[in-house]
Amino acid sequence: MSDVSFTPRAASVTTETALTRRIVIGVVMILIAVLLFAPLIAVFAEALRSGWAASLEGLASPDAQAAIRLTLIVAAIAVPLNAAFGIAAAWAITKFDFRGKALLITLIDLPFSVSPVVAGLALVMLFGTNSWLGAWLIAHDLKVVFAFPGIVLATMFVTFPFVARELIPVMMEQGRAEEEAALTLGASGWRTFFTVTLPNIRWALLYGVLLCNARAMGEFGAVAVISGKIRGETTTMPIMIEMLYNEYLSVAAFSLAAVLALLALLTLLLKSLLEWRYAGLLAATRRH
Amino acid sequence: MFVQIEEIAKEFGNQRALHPVSLSIPSGALIALLGPSGSGKTTLLRILAGLEFPTSGRVMFDALDATGLSVQDRRAGFVFQHYALFRHMTVFENVAYGLRARTRGERPAEAEIGRRVNRLLDLIQLPDIGARYPSQLSGGQRQRVALARALAIEPRMLLLDEPFGALDAKVRKELRQGLREIHDTTGLTTVFVTHDQEEALELADLVVVMSMGRIEQVGKPSDIRANPASDFVRAFTAA
Amino acid sequence: MRAGILRSPSPLPGFGLSFGIMMAALSVVVLLPIMALVGRGVMIGPAELWEMVGTRRIRAALALSFRAALVASLFNLVFGLVLAWVLVRYRFWGRRLIDAAIDLPFALPTAVAGIALTALYAPNGALGQMLTPLGIKVAYTEFGIWLALIFIGLPFVVRTVQPVIEEIDREVEEASATLGASRAYTLRRVILPMLAPALLTGFALALARSVGEYGSVIFIAGNLPFKTEIAPLLIVIRLEEYNYDAATAIGLAMLLISFAMLLVINIIQIWSRRRIGDV
Repeated sequence: MSDVSFTPRAASVTTETALTRRIVIGVVMILIAVLLFAPLIAVFAEALRSGWAASLEGLASPDAQAAIRLTLIVAAIAVPLNAAFGIAAAWAITKFDFRGKALLITLIDLPFSVSPVVAGLALVMLFGTNSWLGAWLIAHDLKVVFAFPGIVLATMFVTFPFVARELIPVMMEQGRAEEEAALTLGASGWRTFFTVTLPNIRWALLYGVLLCNARAMGEFGAVAVISGKIRGETTTMPIMIEMLYNEYLSVAAFSLAAVLALLALLTLLLKSLLEWRYAGLLAATRRH
Repeated sequence: MFVQIEEIAKEFGNQRALHPVSLSIPSGALIALLGPSGSGKTTLLRILAGLEFPTSGRVMFDALDATGLSVQDRRAGFVFQHYALFRHMTVFENVAYGLRARTRGERPAEAEIGRRVNRLLDLIQLPDIGARYPSQLSGGQRQRVALARALAIEPRMLLLDEPFGALDAKVRKELRQGLREIHDTTGLTTVFVTHDQEEALELADLVVVMSMGRIEQVGKPSDIRANPASDFVRAFTAA
Repeated sequence: MRAGILRSPSPLPGFGLSFGIMMAALSVVVLLPIMALVGRGVMIGPAELWEMVGTRRIRAALALSFRAALVASLFNLVFGLVLAWVLVRYRFWGRRLIDAAIDLPFALPTAVAGIALTALYAPNGALGQMLTPLGIKVAYTEFGIWLALIFIGLPFVVRTVQPVIEEIDREVEEASATLGASRAYTLRRVILPMLAPALLTGFALALARSVGEYGSVIFIAGNLPFKTEIAPLLIVIRLEEYNYDAATAIGLAMLLISFAMLLVINIIQIWSRRRIGDV
């Protein structure tokens, strides 16, 4: 009757049994290893199959160099343009009340549901030789399709929603009180934006730009359609990877792929850092 | 049902939430656990419900040692502070939940479930709200639905965590009377937790005053008013 | 124009400028190209379009794209739910690493994923070697397409469901237990219905993405007409043949599928908000 000992149930009533948990965690780990980690490892293994020297040689070829350069330039143009668009869209949508807002948000999200190949096709239909706009452009010696501007447009299409989507929920949550306060204190519109709004959204902006950039550098389907794949001219890194792969230049293809994979890992690392350090300043739901 | 708490202690890591406490709850009594936050009153209530397990000591339900009994087998009707209604279910489905969750052999027929749910909705004086969702109810209505849901499982006792805490003053007074009536009708041993001394002294048959994981005094409201056992009890019950 | 669009005046400046930039960018980058595609379709005429979509090869490609996307998204629905639950509720070694790795398919270019999966599952690849003796062929079959689409769609369900699981009030689970429900019954009847809208949204997003996926699939698929040739690839093939009308027909069919899915996502969101509300 005195001291009755029993095993206290360490686990609370709101969780599964320890055995269930262990089994589920085991299954998850195996599937993640096979589905996510194995392909990642395969990229580096294939790139280094014939040693570092062969791999670096592949990266040093003029075609690979041109592809790397083109990818960087395209991202350097498309990403800032989309960031500017994202900021403008978020400002208009969260600070003002206007008709048709819900429709507009749906339209901004549209590129996420459109196949990249269809996006490329649509751009060809607008700017190609057999549309009146395309004919007019060619008459004025401006080439969009199978040329650099088309690649930038295709990249912008597929990455269009990234920044706006990240900023809208954050700015919605912050409301307009701080901007109104700044205005009553005599600040100009631009001053209010740079000294009040921008500091509040800078981490969310960086987060959106990061995701936008990762997708921009890796876009394949839309660019494949509109670039015409002119070697050394309109071949971005992913396009070059395809060409090398189809020519059975496996080491060169995977070396270029490894560069992009490293970029992806860097993106994930920065993204995780942002999420851990600035969780409160990012959108409440981490969606994509 | 007679409830006996024998030398129950509870630690969360290094934190001592309850020093060994003992308490006898007479069958059919309406008892208040009264104390400020951090006094251990909610921990004690959750131990009774089987939502927490004590570090040492035991809990007796009549002659049954209930200390290690799982929350499902304990059949303690529990009303949560924020009611914890299932918001994707109608009021009817909420109240019927405990009956439908039973194993096939013990589950009543659907017609019987319907009869019981409607009887409970009558008891809480909200006979016509079965088809509504929790989001369409007022705070007071939600509290009564939570009460009906807890009663539906034919509980051994009724446990309520700050049952009036989330309500405004006027509704609180009405529902206090409602709880008294339901207690008297069902005759269930009832324990509620509160930090409001007026609520405890007015409603309960027996008041247990707690502070810092210890029981300071157990007594009828009149005793506690007339003879507070410590300075703490005097200060806390004076208002 | 400003007075006409704004519902209520705002003391904040910059509406004209920000609205203008937004509409200009949206029009040039997204709306005009899509209108051009639709316009081309109108010029071809609905009867002709229908006839082209009806050819066996295009029908087979569309059916394959949709079927494979459905299979992969269903797998990701179940696996994504389990994954989200494990990441939110369980504490174990490697949890943060897995949480960060979930987004790999978003960050890794699709062409890279495509050649990596092919290298792994080709008959002489690291995993293909193990599967071939068992009589399982992955690369250059429809299984390969499923695998690529599972990879590409993995993050969607996880990332839509995760925040919802984080917000579940533990009291609700405790309430279910005090009412006598077993853990399995609680998961089925209380937790699952609460997650249903987010699950459906994640599923629809994954489906929309996988139906149109191109880069990760074409390397592993084998691309045999009628067997492993997906619809986006057929668009590319038709464009390379300068058969713009056929490309337009397939493109419009896929666009229609995308719009239908977008509509479904919106309806789900409205429906769940109305039904569950805030408690």
